[in-house]
Amino acid sequence: MSLEQLVGTVELPDLRKFLPEFILLVLAFTLFTLELTFKGEKKRRLLLTVSYAGYALVLLSLFVPWRHPGDTFYASFTNDALAVTVKLFATLLTMAVLAFVNAYYRHFRSFYGEFYYLLAFTLLGVFILASSYNLVILYVALELVSVGFYVLTALFRGSTASKEGAFKYLVLGGLSIALASYGAAFMYVYAGSLDLREILSYEGQDLHYLILGLVFFLIGFAVKIGAVPFHFWLPDAYQGAPTPVTALMASVGKLAFFIPLLRVMPLVQEKFSVVWTVTVGVIAALTMLFGNFVALVQKDVKRMLAYSSIAHSGYLLAAAAVAKELGMKALLYFLLVYGVMAAGSFLVLALLERGRGWRNELEYFSGLRFTLPAVAFAFFIYLIALLGVPPTAGFAGKALVFMALSFDELWWLAFVMILSTAVSTGYYVRLVVLMFMKEPVVETGRPVSAAAERLSLALTALASVLLGALPGLIWFLIEASVASILGR
Amino acid sequence: MERVEAAFPFISLSMLFPVVFALAVGLARELYARYLALVGTALTFLLSLVAVAHFDFSKADAVQLYEEYAVLPELGVKLALGADGLSLLMYFLTTLISLVAVVWSVGDEKVSYRLKEYFIAFLLTETFVIGVFTAFDLIVFYVFYELTLLPMLFVIGIWGYKLRLYSAYKFFIYIFVSSLFLLLGIASLAVYHYKTKGYFTFSYFELLGLQMPLSFELFTFLLFFIAFAVKTPIVPFHTWLPDAHGEAPTAGSVVLAAVLLKMGTYALLRFNVGLFPEATKLLAPYLVALGIFSIVMASWMTISQTNVKRFVAYSSVSHMGFVVTAMFLLNMEGLRASVIEMFAHGLTSAGLFMVAGFIYNRLHTFNFRSLKGAIKFMPLFATVTAVIAFSAMGLPGGSSFWGKFLTVLSAREHSTLLAFAVVAAAFFSGAYVLYFLKTLYLDTKEESVLVHFRDLEGAPLVAFAMILLPVIAVGLFPFVFFAFFEASLKLLLKLIGH
Repeated sequence: MSLEQLVGTVELPDLRKFLPEFILLVLAFTLFTLELTFKGEKKRRLLLTVSYAGYALVLLSLFVPWRHPGDTFYASFTNDALAVTVKLFATLLTMAVLAFVNAYYRHFRSFYGEFYYLLAFTLLGVFILASSYNLVILYVALELVSVGFYVLTALFRGSTASKEGAFKYLVLGGLSIALASYGAAFMYVYAGSLDLREILSYEGQDLHYLILGLVFFLIGFAVKIGAVPFHFWLPDAYQGAPTPVTALMASVGKLAFFIPLLRVMPLVQEKFSVVWTVTVGVIAALTMLFGNFVALVQKDVKRMLAYSSIAHSGYLLAAAAVAKELGMKALLYFLLVYGVMAAGSFLVLALLERGRGWRNELEYFSGLRFTLPAVAFAFFIYLIALLGVPPTAGFAGKALVFMALSFDELWWLAFVMILSTAVSTGYYVRLVVLMFMKEPVVETGRPVSAAAERLSLALTALASVLLGALPGLIWFLIEASVASILGR
Repeated sequence: MERVEAAFPFISLSMLFPVVFALAVGLARELYARYLALVGTALTFLLSLVAVAHFDFSKADAVQLYEEYAVLPELGVKLALGADGLSLLMYFLTTLISLVAVVWSVGDEKVSYRLKEYFIAFLLTETFVIGVFTAFDLIVFYVFYELTLLPMLFVIGIWGYKLRLYSAYKFFIYIFVSSLFLLLGIASLAVYHYKTKGYFTFSYFELLGLQMPLSFELFTFLLFFIAFAVKTPIVPFHTWLPDAHGEAPTAGSVVLAAVLLKMGTYALLRFNVGLFPEATKLLAPYLVALGIFSIVMASWMTISQTNVKRFVAYSSVSHMGFVVTAMFLLNMEGLRASVIEMFAHGLTSAGLFMVAGFIYNRLHTFNFRSLKGAIKFMPLFATVTAVIAFSAMGLPGGSSFWGKFLTVLSAREHSTLLAFAVVAAAFFSGAYVLYFLKTLYLDTKEESVLVHFRDLEGAPLVAFAMILLPVIAVGLFPFVFFAFFEASLKLLLKLIGH
């Protein structure tokens, strides 16, 4: 081989396709350096300001990869509409959460400067996870996101619950990643390639390797999204984590972990659509039933919302069971809007927890309308969105899932979904009744909220309604994303 | 179905008015809340009168005043609003009853706290209900249908009587859960349309001509039916109603009984009969039987009530039984009977709930027994009560007479035996009204508690007058009202091939 030929095969990475990731990496290291250099109150404000500026820059830079779709790094990094959409929402949600961070940690006397660069690295993991078909890259990205979340969960001074949650998350998460990599190895044996697209379109002899590999690989993700029976870590981690981190895990985290699943969907529909539908459908049914029934008996609202997050994984998986275009659209739409509602609902808790003597128990929410009317109203919006009352985004999501299910005539799953939504009515409406129709029973201090926090809550509440009432606002993103993974 | 574009957006404006006034109520001082609400509902009522005047009755089967705004073209969702004669009547009833409810609330002593929220809830309900009756896109219909739940949840839960929280809960869960079946039904229809025609649509006009295999038609019919049977309610699904209607504040009960129940029967007629003609024909005999069962059961339950509000609530169930029975007799007289009975019951149930509310305001009890003869001291109120109660019973000249009379006529077209069954059922529904009136008028009050009460006056009197006028009008000139919906009904009958 001559030198020219050798150089010819070397592809120069196209910066335009991974500019946001690059900025994020620079941001993470900048935050790291700042964290080491500065001290005290000045550091907190500096880190927050630099984070905001950095994420804003990332948002702006998303236009570049949107304009230049295509693979780079020898097809191990895929930049398509789906990736850009996910990155857009992940960044926006992170910015919404960021408003609450400093005040929250100050209240609990638990400020760690590490939070900011860990967050940036986690988001980098999310970005990469959203834009790859390569098993090794997916594996690394998965690790990056997970390790980020383990540490962020544990970063809570003096809270044993947070350590317990993080440890459970670590053990089960580690196991799941091991399973995923084991699955990846099997798939490599089957097709001799690490690219999921090639693996799933390869016409090999040893199909059992592929099945085994795919099953292990997907179990790895099932653990991450909290699907039953792999959900045991989730309530503890969600409850133990600092609430802004819970908000991140429920929104950005869930968004990231579902994307590889979404990318696999078009690829399975030829080879084993029936097996896929039945397996994913059964897991979906179990997940939504379990999540909702257990949420119904929770006394702690944060834990209740954690179980509701499990239930929503079930609804999302129900959409994923329909490996057709409509199923993918339903999954992606519901995923994006669920992130908004979930972030909002946990952020309300993050705000309330700063009230003197506040605990996230049901009776503390009694008469919230009288003590904190605006917060109660925002929480009301998130709750009805999670329940799926029209015209909120949660309703549009459920309607799309129903459409997807009737597309494949999965009536049994549709009825399970009706049943589990019926169960969920109990706990969401209970909170609404408590907040608006009862008098306050516990004396607590009122948290002081900053303008940025109020803005963040107002915008997420507004988005929870608007994205449902006028889905056209983001539908073009959904169409483009699904078209991109279908290879159109 | 023919569509006539609106020259002026009457319907969207009459949905916008209450929202604007609700905002105003939210921003203004609490002192002005009731007046703003009054002006808002009155203006909307006037607007609906103008809309009725602009309606071309010579082609009342066409959807007139039609407006269309795209929401999500990719999935065929559009905000399609319009009114044929049937919708127009219901739209008119909605604006009338909303005004009555607000007028009543002005003079209701129970309405004394959280006034802003109270009137905002009623104004929003008006918008949502107008949306239900005028939507010609199934998703839009569903959105408004569900949205009516939210303000009512608050009305029952905040301003209701003793069991308010329990009732509010029950009301919301029953209706919300049952309507999830409707959502699945709507979704499956749109998907079926996509599979046969190649594009998604939720438009009523396009789904109207959809040819479906009978099994699928039956399946979707039942999905729709579950939602509307709970809403209507038909007897085995009625248990939410006595609690919700019994515990809601008077104006809430008025709106619930007069308008929100009609959403169920209106939707049965518009969607179940219209979209699934074959399934309708197949299931009609069973539904008629269910309707008659409903009438008899509910009448018996009514007689055994001691609480005036629950009494009226159960009587509503029996009336709705008539509506369902008449509807599924599937001939012209039957459909006519069911629609005129919907309208008539809207008026009389509103009136009866106001009677109950008035009694509570004077005596602070809903208990029948303690009311014995009390009405004697209030001659004007006694007259009004008698007129409304006899109308509800179906005395000739009263509004409900035509519904019952035509139901019997229509049943006779099928068989004389069926007609007898309807007459027997009607007997029970008459019995409870007589029992009610007997307790109020003929029993004597024990002397120790002989108190004189103030008679009807002020706002309640106005509210009663607004109900009485149309009650008498329906009783004496039913053909004026038939003119609204006859053409629409003919079209429906043509759809099911009669």
